[in-house]
Amino acid sequence: MTQVLAIMVLPLFLLAGIVAAAVLDRAVPPLVAGRSLKASFVGPITVASSRAMGQTGATEHPDTISWILAPILYFTLAAIGLSVVPFAPGVVAADLDAGIVLWGACESLTVVAVFLHGWSANSPLPLIGAYRYVAIGLPAMLLSMFVLIAAALPAQSLAVTDIVEAQRSVWNIVRQPAGFVLFLMLGLSLSLRGPFDFADPYDLAGGTTAEISGAARLTWWLARLAMLVSVSAMTATVFLGGYLGPVLPGFVWLVVKTGLVLVVLVGAGEVFARLPPDRMMNLIWLALLPLSFLMLVAVGVELLLWG
Amino acid sequence: MGLIDLTFLVLSAIAIVSGWRVFATDSMVRASFLLLLSFTAVGLIILMLAAPYIGIATIFMMAVEMMVMALFMVMFMMNPAGLNPMMMVHQNRFAIGAGIVAFLGLSAAVLTTDFPTDPVDPGRQVIRDLGLEMLGPSMLIFETAGVTLLAAMVGAVVLSARTGRFGPSDEGSRPPGLEVGGEPAGRRVEKASGHGHHHMHDSHVGDEDAQHAEGNPEADGHNADGGESGRRPSLRSDWSAGNRSMTSKTEATS
Repeated sequence: MTQVLAIMVLPLFLLAGIVAAAVLDRAVPPLVAGRSLKASFVGPITVASSRAMGQTGATEHPDTISWILAPILYFTLAAIGLSVVPFAPGVVAADLDAGIVLWGACESLTVVAVFLHGWSANSPLPLIGAYRYVAIGLPAMLLSMFVLIAAALPAQSLAVTDIVEAQRSVWNIVRQPAGFVLFLMLGLSLSLRGPFDFADPYDLAGGTTAEISGAARLTWWLARLAMLVSVSAMTATVFLGGYLGPVLPGFVWLVVKTGLVLVVLVGAGEVFARLPPDRMMNLIWLALLPLSFLMLVAVGVELLLWG
Repeated sequence: MGLIDLTFLVLSAIAIVSGWRVFATDSMVRASFLLLLSFTAVGLIILMLAAPYIGIATIFMMAVEMMVMALFMVMFMMNPAGLNPMMMVHQNRFAIGAGIVAFLGLSAAVLTTDFPTDPVDPGRQVIRDLGLEMLGPSMLIFETAGVTLLAAMVGAVVLSARTGRFGPSDEGSRPPGLEVGGEPAGRRVEKASGHGHHHMHDSHVGDEDAQHAEGNPEADGHNADGGESGRRPSLRSDWSAGNRSMTSKTEATS
């Protein structure tokens, strides 16, 4: 019964999150600049409706099936990833024993979806975007695995519900603050945003989106926002205690925390600059990946001594 | 036939058809992702066999693996982007023979094996059992496999890194000789006949191009020809630049 409830809540959660993310995307720049926020609320609707009615472009000999399926796969992965997040105690769409592993599978298939989106256009700029994304997205995903294992250690379980319950004493953000930051970076990478937007950056004329227009562009935009919502909910669940909190009901706490992470991610995407791909790759492999190892060791030692 | 049987049949069909399409497609990238689709269906079947960790981990690992495979195949093969049609099969006769033998052998194994009907108790903690098995009695096997794979990874990085076996990879490398210490194998690039003076000095490739365009009155006269003849020596100087840096490197080390 609670599972049915969770399955019904999931699309609403995703939809509300997409709307919030779209508005935030427009609201953050005027907020930083101290300007009026009035246009932020209507802007996304205007853009979405104009894209829905716009003409859909085509290239010479694209891989049509992959080109159409890639945004759909991307969006579906966002929904599947969200399905392991418990909305309230016991209310979870997919209560798997290996929930964290399912989330990991969604992460790695996201890289495939973004690559296919750029590759299947049969055009240079989308292809370069696709390759750059694979080069950065894969190691970014790799280090998130160590962060997630360190989050699963105190719970002694791979189930997301157990990970939330294990945070009753202390949230995982306190256990591994650097892991939280690394996971936020993964969030930027999964939703192709700001400093980790190597798939669709302006310097490649939009990268994988360089050759798409109209409804195809709208779908890709929605899929990116959906993944942003999904990764925000996951961050809130794994590091900020998910539905745990005093006084208010669990679902409200999850929404508040997800919203907070959403604001942080959109703001980070706006504020931080993007490194060139080769320097970013060095940073990830030489600094961030060892850092994620250290966090894992630190949590292990802490549990061994005081756990 | 229940829902579970139907799901199994559909997943098996996906696995088999996409596995067949791997060999029928004409692109390396398509072949990789069709194989991924096949493995995903197999992973879901494993999930149905009450092995959630192994099932989902199969999908997870195969997604990364096929992505890396597609990337490296396109990188190392002379097929830009993997979109060009190319022949994906070879040794047809041997492959057909091996395929028939494998099919008959596996069919015989399936038909003659007496499979146990031993459903897993839903309350059993299979992931916990798997973890205890892997880090208990089977630890030696997994650690051996892990260290072997790590050694292979280090080897692959050493061979493909910029400071690799044949010198800096972005400066033009030479294949090893056919005999020990012999001339490099492969096609020899003939010396430039009319523009020999360009190789007299040790300037940068771009400088040579510029000087060529300046010093050649013909190039200034005819635009189309100028572009052509301006480009041709630069190819040669690329080679000589590579050779030069190689010799200077061997000199430095010896």
